[in-house]
Amino acid sequence: MPGLGTTYGRGGATTAPSDVVNSDVVLIMGSNMAENHPVGFQWVMEAKEKHGTHIIHVDPRFSRTSAVANTWVSLRAGSDILFLGGLINYVLQNNLDFREYVLHYTNASVIIPEGFKDAEELDGLFSGWDPATKQYDNTTWLYQGVKQDESSSDRHDNSQSGGHSQHGVDSSVDLSTYEQDLTLQHPRCVWQLMKRHFARYTPDMVARYCGVTKDAFLNVAKIYTSASGPDKTGAICYALGWTQHSSGVQMIRCAAMLQLLLGNMGRPGGGILALRGHASIQGSTDIPTLFDSLPGYISMPKFGYSSVDLASFIKANKPKTGFWNNIDKYIVSMLKAFYGEHATAENDYGFNWLPRLTGDHSHQAYFLDMMDGKMDGLFVMGQNPAVAAPNSGLERRALGKLKWLVVREMVETETATFWRDSPEVTSGELKMADIQTEVFLLPAAGHVEKDGTFTNTQRLLQWREKAIDPPGDARSENWFIYHIWERVVEKAKADPRPRNQGLLALQMNYTITGPRREPEAPEILQEINGYTTADRKLLKTFGELTADGSTTCGCWIYTGVYPEAGRNRANERDPKDEYGHGWGWAWPADRRVLYNRASAKPDGTPWSERKKLVWWDEAEKKWTGKDVPDFTATKPPTYVPPPGAEGDAALAGDKPYILHADGMGWLWVPVGLNDGPLPTHYEPLESPIANPMYAGQQANPVGLRRTRPGNEYATSPDTRFPYVLTTYRLTEHHTAGGMSRTLSHLAELQPEIFCEISMELADELKIEHGEWVTLVTARGAIEAHALSTSRMKPLTIDGKRVHQIGVPFHWGYNGLVKGDIGNDLIAISEEPNVRIMETKGLLCNLLVGRRSTNVERLKEYHSIAEGKTA
Amino acid sequence: MNKTSAFLTDATICIGCKACEVACKEWNEVPEDGLLWTGFSYDNTQALGASTWRHVMFLEQPATAGPQQVDMENPFRWIFLSDVCKHCVHSGCLEGCPTGAIVRTDVGSVLVQKDICNGCGYCVVSCPFGVVDKRHDDGRAFKCTFCYDRQSAGMMPACAKTCPTQSIKFGEREDLRAEGIARVQELKARGYADAQLYNPEETSVGGTHAMFVILGKPDAYNLPPAPEVPTVYLKSAWTSALLAAMVVIAVVCAAFLF
Amino acid sequence: MATTENPDSTRLPKATEERLEAIRAEAAATGKVESGAGRPPRMDRPPRDERSGGGVGSSEGKFPAGESYYNLGVVKPPTWTWEIAVYFFVGGISGISSVIGFIGHVLHADPTLVRVALWMGLIGAMICPGLLIADLGRPSRFLNMLRVFKWRSAMSMGSWILSAFGGAAFTAVAANEAVRYGIHLPLLPQIAWIGEFGGAITGLLLASYTGVLIGATAIPVWHQHRHLLPAHFLTSGLGGSAAILELLGFLLPVTQFLGFAASAVETLLGISLELKPSQVNKPLHHGRSGWTMRIAGALEGPIALLIRVFLHGSAHGRYATAICFLIGSCSSRFAWIWAGRASAHDPHALFEEENERIRARAAGARAL
Repeated sequence: MPGLGTTYGRGGATTAPSDVVNSDVVLIMGSNMAENHPVGFQWVMEAKEKHGTHIIHVDPRFSRTSAVANTWVSLRAGSDILFLGGLINYVLQNNLDFREYVLHYTNASVIIPEGFKDAEELDGLFSGWDPATKQYDNTTWLYQGVKQDESSSDRHDNSQSGGHSQHGVDSSVDLSTYEQDLTLQHPRCVWQLMKRHFARYTPDMVARYCGVTKDAFLNVAKIYTSASGPDKTGAICYALGWTQHSSGVQMIRCAAMLQLLLGNMGRPGGGILALRGHASIQGSTDIPTLFDSLPGYISMPKFGYSSVDLASFIKANKPKTGFWNNIDKYIVSMLKAFYGEHATAENDYGFNWLPRLTGDHSHQAYFLDMMDGKMDGLFVMGQNPAVAAPNSGLERRALGKLKWLVVREMVETETATFWRDSPEVTSGELKMADIQTEVFLLPAAGHVEKDGTFTNTQRLLQWREKAIDPPGDARSENWFIYHIWERVVEKAKADPRPRNQGLLALQMNYTITGPRREPEAPEILQEINGYTTADRKLLKTFGELTADGSTTCGCWIYTGVYPEAGRNRANERDPKDEYGHGWGWAWPADRRVLYNRASAKPDGTPWSERKKLVWWDEAEKKWTGKDVPDFTATKPPTYVPPPGAEGDAALAGDKPYILHADGMGWLWVPVGLNDGPLPTHYEPLESPIANPMYAGQQANPVGLRRTRPGNEYATSPDTRFPYVLTTYRLTEHHTAGGMSRTLSHLAELQPEIFCEISMELADELKIEHGEWVTLVTARGAIEAHALSTSRMKPLTIDGKRVHQIGVPFHWGYNGLVKGDIGNDLIAISEEPNVRIMETKGLLCNLLVGRRSTNVERLKEYHSIAEGKTA
Repeated sequence: MNKTSAFLTDATICIGCKACEVACKEWNEVPEDGLLWTGFSYDNTQALGASTWRHVMFLEQPATAGPQQVDMENPFRWIFLSDVCKHCVHSGCLEGCPTGAIVRTDVGSVLVQKDICNGCGYCVVSCPFGVVDKRHDDGRAFKCTFCYDRQSAGMMPACAKTCPTQSIKFGEREDLRAEGIARVQELKARGYADAQLYNPEETSVGGTHAMFVILGKPDAYNLPPAPEVPTVYLKSAWTSALLAAMVVIAVVCAAFLF
Repeated sequence: MATTENPDSTRLPKATEERLEAIRAEAAATGKVESGAGRPPRMDRPPRDERSGGGVGSSEGKFPAGESYYNLGVVKPPTWTWEIAVYFFVGGISGISSVIGFIGHVLHADPTLVRVALWMGLIGAMICPGLLIADLGRPSRFLNMLRVFKWRSAMSMGSWILSAFGGAAFTAVAANEAVRYGIHLPLLPQIAWIGEFGGAITGLLLASYTGVLIGATAIPVWHQHRHLLPAHFLTSGLGGSAAILELLGFLLPVTQFLGFAASAVETLLGISLELKPSQVNKPLHHGRSGWTMRIAGALEGPIALLIRVFLHGSAHGRYATAICFLIGSCSSRFAWIWAGRASAHDPHALFEEENERIRARAAGARAL
């Protein structure tokens, strides 16, 4: 998310999957789209078959996506930045960029001050590195000439955020005051810095360290860069193959930069399709289940001066220019939604009832706290950490340290039964009697048994109507939260402590209906949409929000989904045009292609007839076209902001990236990322080679390894773990299999765990196709059938042969089909911006034979990790 | 209704997602058909049968023809195809059924009426494509119904409805046949030199209502290259029986007279 | 919930949860699994090197040429179990017995012989439906067999033939017994003749249609031998009927002749099966079906023949040859069913046969 968010302003897919029919080329990388987004993939196939679009798939494995792509190129897992950097270098060296777009719509021309030192100069570190805190101070990354306000003292403390909110916003810095050289010749303009930075990412370098043949790489470069210019566009699709890496955000940044250089953003058939991990994950970051984000990507207040009251918070988070300038309106309206009449100007609208971040409260962090005995209890809803979390073996042990655990699920997941049949318990390593956790399993309603919306990868809200009542005691989340609230509030009323004020102030004014007393879901959506506080008149746009409490709005980016009584746009199913307007509702404001101002020239006319999307209508004096303009409708292309202008008025008529303070697409990210203004290649946390770019920095220096007993790492390289392992999903199962292993129609399609190895590795180790093998990493060991196939290709990396092994992670110890748990192999690690673990490239060993359930033998596996036995 | 429904299943558009298998099972309440891992690429279903009416095949092959660029030493391709009952124009199972349970419907499909079938198993050995089979716990024979219930309500079969890439096309047989022929021409022009339309019209089967666009020989897909309706064997078999019977009469007579 | 219960793989255990747990326990205890866990069931699969079948797994890193889909069979094996093999056997004997009874009656043979032969027909006619009904998936629906009359379905014909035979055999025996016990009803002897005649005709059909039944199927080894099968079943029924009569004490020249003729023909038929080695005929020469076929053929053919030739005088010799023939005859039915199963599991036989047919057609078309 921050990869896209910092580059463009919003962290989400910038277009809809159906838009790829307009692409001339589609690059799928870090994704197995056909297998994991098969319905979205229909448009890729349509593009290929009906429009002659060239589909390129770059991946360590030849998967079902590769099978239907026009071009497949192999890749060493984790070397994506080398490859993408190679593409960027190819563009820069050969002047293949879309120059007019780059000049006007990106910060390529902006000048960076002299204090900045690139990673190329500091052997893998950028300037501003503090070895004590292991963090960067980004002062040297800011634009030359910008004014800074140092009074915001916790500005530099990145330890508390997860980077999910307010991308690229730092209100202590006024990024609208920059200096630029539109000839791109100034030695410290972004353009020249990029050229120097990517100079070593040559095709030879790529071939040598990515395991791709040079011709194949150049072929991709040629094809992809040809889809650029006024008449052509190309799209990039990525998914967890990029995000679940220790430099994942920077991988995405490379792609985002490439799209800006080629002028593909905001245009039909262009854009970046960030394919989200499952059905409503977009929704669960919009109305977040993330620890560091409030609805609509507002930052969660941190413990510190910047959040001592509402005014300080707003000061810290309200940049002078760009759409985030309205954050006071967004947050006050949100607080009104939380606290209703209890939120008044006098009490800062209840701002001080919001919790404060005191550190890293992400999933990994609190599970480690749990392991250390620091947590009493946990609610687990719609998640199955016992098999789905990284280092799931450690997480299962951590669950055993809780006093109580509530699991709300449709099926009896491994998280609910860990205490009696996890592998540790069945092998005897842990005794059931020693696990004191009291586990409550509450039945949950399935998606056809409750009303509500999904928000899918293209930011589209689609309402689901309840078809039947959930059986027995199963209940929806709305019901559960509401009824827990009722009971807890009753107890809180009897408890006079001030800490209960916020709880008692919470407003849940929904109509409760039915014998089960269910809150009316449409009312919740209306509250999210927003209405005037006084008379509950629904709002049509977030432009109507105010900072004085007269509007109530749960999530400002969703305003417009329920614009008037009786009109739930998420429930509309009448598509009127090729962009699907009339089917569901996309945020923001039903704009289907974000940044679509960039589909027109600076003067407002389309780049070409073939690629027109949105343009300025001089007669009507507004922007018009095939999509809702992602721009102030009446702002003319020639608009020049008056001095001292604020917010959106401070952005010129040719600045499409309206969430950014400077309105431009950021090739260079001055603020918002913890690990650098430009992507640079680091190896994954476990790698078969030393970092070819920098002797001084092997892996991402800002990433967290959380090394501790039970969460150890291999060295890079490591003779004990000679093979590269990547984990992935299959179409047939859903995430870690909790819901699909219990359904016979799915379970029978992929009933047993297998790992994919090359024919060459099978020959080398004398492994029979189908036989049981054990995969061992520094964290754990699992068994799988060996599927030897020509689809896995051994790579030549720097002259030596490197084997890659793939294993899907869909199995667990419950369900119709059972198998070992892939996530037992993964380490708990945190990418520096979003805290996500690295699952896509690690080191392993492969032993013939089944995993022993004998406790002593298991210890042998662990001692392999500790280097005691080979 | 009186139309001639058909499937055209195109391997070159299939992404191997198996949604067709699942949708079919969900709609028709087909039971689980074995939780067995085969190691046959991603195909754990293996074949059509009484409890599998759509079967997605996975072929890993050296690429003998085709424009795909693959960064491998030896050119390679991975083909997917969703197999289904052929609903033959001249159908072996229908001809062989002694109870009249198997009938031709008004949409041209072949339907096993499960309230009549008594599980004699003759259809099983009469199908030259190896489609229909007996469910052993149930006793009756089952196969794809062409979602006759859905068609009767004006809907398309569940598998065609759910296929995300429209690899499974449903429509009038003549239209789809023409479309298949045109598609093969198009594929050949694009460099898929071994594309062909599988619709065995030149045999006694006389063509099928489920046609396939495939790459390479039908043998690789376990599609019989020259399937015959077993009734073509009846004449010679009965002739032999009658001749032998006459010999037996003669021998028995001779035995008594001798 | 159904699990894959392939009757052909009755030697392999069912894929159930219990089985998976047992496999794990075995692995934990001994460090390996002997019982073929994780591998799919196969029948008569050629060894790894010979396989040209498609898909993965070649350890030389070369792709197999893709001549079939993972060596899986194209057509489905018969679902029939032992009842059908025994029905073929009993039906053959009982049908021919009625023929013997009728012709014997016409040619004034030993009346006891005639009577016993007709009774054998009737007893067979009573056993056969029971066997067939037991094999049905839904036995209670056996009457559905008489819903339609389809001459294009050998099984439909067979249902009607069996029914007609049963009626005729009953008529013949009942009427004859009535006459014998002195019941004087008008036309009773004529009714008996009609029954006997009907029984003979339908008996011949009963004994031979089963060969047509399996000959007119999609199973390669069956339909390739569709000329031989009706003849073989008839001959086998003839010899079996004679053998039972001999075991019942009818050590007469008639039964000797019939036994001799049957064994001689069976010997020739057996030799003819050995003369054509091909992929399609593999089940006749290899595996369980092949060995059973050969032993059965030997017992029905040369062995029975030789015993008859060299021990034709002794009663024990004739009993021995009769028993040999009966064992061979019954085993032969089982062998043919097993051969059908093996043939269904062999895709290469089918492809060889059909591709040859395509070539022949093309050559024929060119010749025109």
